Amino acid sequence: MAVKIALAGNPNCGKTTLFNALTGSNQFVGNWPGVTVEKKEGRLKGHKDVTIMDLPGIYSLSPYTLEEVVARNYLVADRPDAIINIVDGTNIERNLYLSTQIMELGIPVIMAVNMMDIVAKNGDVIHIDKLSQKLGCEVVEISALKGTGITKAAEKAVALAHQKKKVTPAHAFASEVEDIIAKVEDKISSDIPQEQKRFFAIKLLEKDDKISELLSLMPDVSAEIRELEDHFDDDTESIITNERYVYISSIIGECLTKAKKGEKLSTSDKIDRFVTNRFFALPIFALVMFIVYYVSITTVGGFLTDWTNDTLFGEWIVPGARTLLENIHCAGWLTGLVVDGIISGVGAVLGFVPQMLVLFIFLAFLESCGYMSRIAFIMDRIFRKFGLSGKSFIPMLIGSGCGVPGVMASRTIENDRDRKMTIMTTTFVPCGAKLPIIALIAGAFFHNSGWVAWSAYFVGVAAIICSGIILKKTKMFAGDPAPFVMELPAYHWPTVGNVLRSMWERGWSFIKKAGTIILLSTIVLWFLMNFGWSNGTFGMLDFDGLEGAALEAAQAECVLAKVGSAIAWIFAPLGWTKAGNGWKMAVAAVSGLIAKENVVATFGQLFGFAEVAEDGSEIWKSLSLVMTPVAAYGFLVFNLLCAPCFAAMGAIKREMNNVKWFWFAIGYQCILAYIVSLCIYQIGTLITVGTFGVGTVVAFLLIIGFIYLLFRPYKESNTLNFDAKKTVSAK
Amino acid sequence: MMPLTMCKAGEENEIKKIGGKEETRRHLENLGFVVGGKVAVISETDGNMIVNVKEARVAIGKDMANKIMI
Repeated sequence: MAVKIALAGNPNCGKTTLFNALTGSNQFVGNWPGVTVEKKEGRLKGHKDVTIMDLPGIYSLSPYTLEEVVARNYLVADRPDAIINIVDGTNIERNLYLSTQIMELGIPVIMAVNMMDIVAKNGDVIHIDKLSQKLGCEVVEISALKGTGITKAAEKAVALAHQKKKVTPAHAFASEVEDIIAKVEDKISSDIPQEQKRFFAIKLLEKDDKISELLSLMPDVSAEIRELEDHFDDDTESIITNERYVYISSIIGECLTKAKKGEKLSTSDKIDRFVTNRFFALPIFALVMFIVYYVSITTVGGFLTDWTNDTLFGEWIVPGARTLLENIHCAGWLTGLVVDGIISGVGAVLGFVPQMLVLFIFLAFLESCGYMSRIAFIMDRIFRKFGLSGKSFIPMLIGSGCGVPGVMASRTIENDRDRKMTIMTTTFVPCGAKLPIIALIAGAFFHNSGWVAWSAYFVGVAAIICSGIILKKTKMFAGDPAPFVMELPAYHWPTVGNVLRSMWERGWSFIKKAGTIILLSTIVLWFLMNFGWSNGTFGMLDFDGLEGAALEAAQAECVLAKVGSAIAWIFAPLGWTKAGNGWKMAVAAVSGLIAKENVVATFGQLFGFAEVAEDGSEIWKSLSLVMTPVAAYGFLVFNLLCAPCFAAMGAIKREMNNVKWFWFAIGYQCILAYIVSLCIYQIGTLITVGTFGVGTVVAFLLIIGFIYLLFRPYKESNTLNFDAKKTVSAK
Repeated sequence: MMPLTMCKAGEENEIKKIGGKEETRRHLENLGFVVGGKVAVISETDGNMIVNVKEARVAIGKDMANKIMI
């Protein structure tokens, strides 16, 4: 018989570590609350018919954030056959609060007290026999990281699931409360099984508004609520919360023997006193960020990328493939497709994989050492001024690797308004796939100077800050961000395996993308570029032996040029026009919507990267002929800020969960990108060349408008309150 | 009774009252901030603080810390 076992527990208590150990999967484990935002399914190793469900962490069965809704809905509505309640042994008192609620669901529960290795190291003793007796479920000691006790826990859970025993909780509240719960239980219709009645009775008393969906008949319990509130002079929710903590306090002395501690502060506390210090917090944070991006982009990563691009592809693979294909007398057009189309397109992208891998190592380290949640705390002071919460910084930092997980990480933000704003702005941060564009523009126009990469991050952050301020002043986003409350996990050294696995998982998805989406788009582009109307007939174009202007004239006949020219006028005010090559820029920018790496792949093809493969930087020369440096910088900024790739747009759509909001986000990003890029080109050209025209006037007007939006008086409006419950029900 | 923000690092106090919006208050209760419970300040920066509640470390912003009375 197939059974389902759910892993439930507080955030950051080790659910995903246990899930990986039990199922042999490789889900990323981080050290901050909210790493898992979606439930994940896996099969228990050695048991084909047992499904293990990893759930996002929750503090209680009354959800506060979106990922908590995911977990609660699964436990309450889907009802797994058994639950493994994972409890962090180092923080047992707070963790048991959720346990008392899970016991009330009427589902068989195994309690797995995790991190027993650390508990033992601290010298504490947990009396599991007592714990088991007081909470009415079996208790096992485990260490998910070390793998001790986990098989026992899983086997017990499977056995329990098969028994289908009716379970009732062992804990009890004060007799006044119990009497009223009993009264409410009697009012619940008989189609609800006896063992689930307590859960529903408590939820009814707590006035939980989602409970009506699960009950066929809603009994009227207002008299009981009044009786309870009069007796305790508090609201029912607080009364019940309090009763749970009172019960836990009453049993904790018997269940836990703490070693006498000489020191009051743990090592983590000492680190926190330093890294969240009033004076050092920001400098330390700036230094960490500088090291991460300097090493991965400029030094180690840059060196590896140069080598891959120039030596590996430029000197070995491209000429090698050409020689091979020519030696086997392959048809000319096929050689062209393979070498000029596929290898130069895909190769231009693959060259950046080493750089990304270095960046991913750093990001994985930051995520798993515990510093991530501190960053959110430190940045909250600053972000609050721009109308964002410190929690918005985590999605942005993850977004510097890839926008898709970045956008998804926004789920941990509890306030709907803050979350929407974060989703809209997260992709302004240059992601890994935008690095190739930055490197290309820096190389072709600015002598590879480091400031281009730095300014790209600066532009991204500035766009976020300005958007925060501007959007905040609109009616849609008015109001203060939710107060900052976040649990900080203890620091620990990440395991090498976890960091490398995360690096590889994310890096591999880039490589896969190069082999699928980008490969496909380069093939399509190659055909569109090599077929066209020559002398009035449609067919394959012949570029052999053509150079310079003659080549460009021949290229202008291809299908791609015709399509590109049709939209190129849109980008004319941005200066993407020089020497009739505007269509190439337009095509590159549009292909960037499929995947950002495509921009470079497209240029690689359009300017014949492979033709001049002895010198990988040759594409730089051809590119520098078709744009002025100012226009090129504008082109870079446009690609940084405009709508992200399809994958990230899909993530935005999912997380917004509303078509209107999705289009608003995409529209906002594209318009902002266009305006900023236009201003850069028009004003830059005025400064460098002195050209003054209609465009310059428009640019100045736009800047004035922008400054107005930024500094206009801020009218506090409290009329619009997002209804968090409504969003919750929509999910 | 005084707000938590008045508390110095290293001090341990009993929570007397929690204010603020119902939703946020409930979240704090779920995290272990209950009236009668103990809270110790680990570090403090401009009113934003890291506190020890039931052996968990929780970071709370100034606005919230002001609404927790000790």
